[in-house]
Amino acid sequence: MLKLFSLKQKKQSSQEEQQTTTDKKPTSNKTTAAELRLQKDISELDTGKTLSVYFPDKNNIVEFIVYCKPDEGIYKNGCFAFRFKIPPTYPHDPPKVKCETKVFHPNIDEEGNVCLNILREDWKPILSLNAILYGIQYLFLEPNPDDPLNKEAANLYRENKAAFYAQVQRSMRENGAYSSRQGF
Amino acid sequence: MVLVKLEKAKLACHWTWNTKDETCGICQMPFDGCCPDCKIPGDDCPIVWGPCEHSFHLHCILKWLNSRQHCPLCRREWHFN
Repeated sequence: MLKLFSLKQKKQSSQEEQQTTTDKKPTSNKTTAAELRLQKDISELDTGKTLSVYFPDKNNIVEFIVYCKPDEGIYKNGCFAFRFKIPPTYPHDPPKVKCETKVFHPNIDEEGNVCLNILREDWKPILSLNAILYGIQYLFLEPNPDDPLNKEAANLYRENKAAFYAQVQRSMRENGAYSSRQGF
Repeated sequence: MVLVKLEKAKLACHWTWNTKDETCGICQMPFDGCCPDCKIPGDDCPIVWGPCEHSFHLHCILKWLNSRQHCPLCRREWHFN
């Protein structure tokens, strides 16, 4: 079987050489493998009433914003924007996700980096956008202080839930995360 | 007895991969089609199985194996069955 692979690869590489010499036209308007897969992910999005997806550029599906609006838990009634960038190597590499709303959360830092295992070491190509959306929603319901990006938030969450809750409320008010401006 | 002489016949056949799932978990394309990098399904874009009996397009799993050596579905160690 392995011999067969190397044969095939040899055949392919010689074909590719031929191709590169014959057509050097840029194929920018061709749908890439990543976009094909992404289209399927988008068509299967399961957003419910706590999520909405917005495409700033309708012709560019690899960059979009997901609004997450938890309807329970500490972050209830907040609205948090996450910018998704899908790499050309998707689904072999995970989407890049940044939180654009400032939030006091153990797993989201000042710059909006999100600490979610499936966005990094535990990403697998069989996972989909839905898996990431579930993960993000879960982060708001169950912050994980054992793997913190914001140590201050993590310590407070562990040591004093009431103070943590108050701090979350304050930060949500200050940063305008309390709103229905996204019109769900 | 009547002898019939067959002069012309059009034969058609149907093939399918013998997989448990209908689509490749990596590219989400049907196994009876090919991976997004190929144009023609069949021997040029084969399906491969791991010891866990999960199957993927060869081209899809090869890309994944560049980074990890386990099955992307169940994390069992991957080798080609």
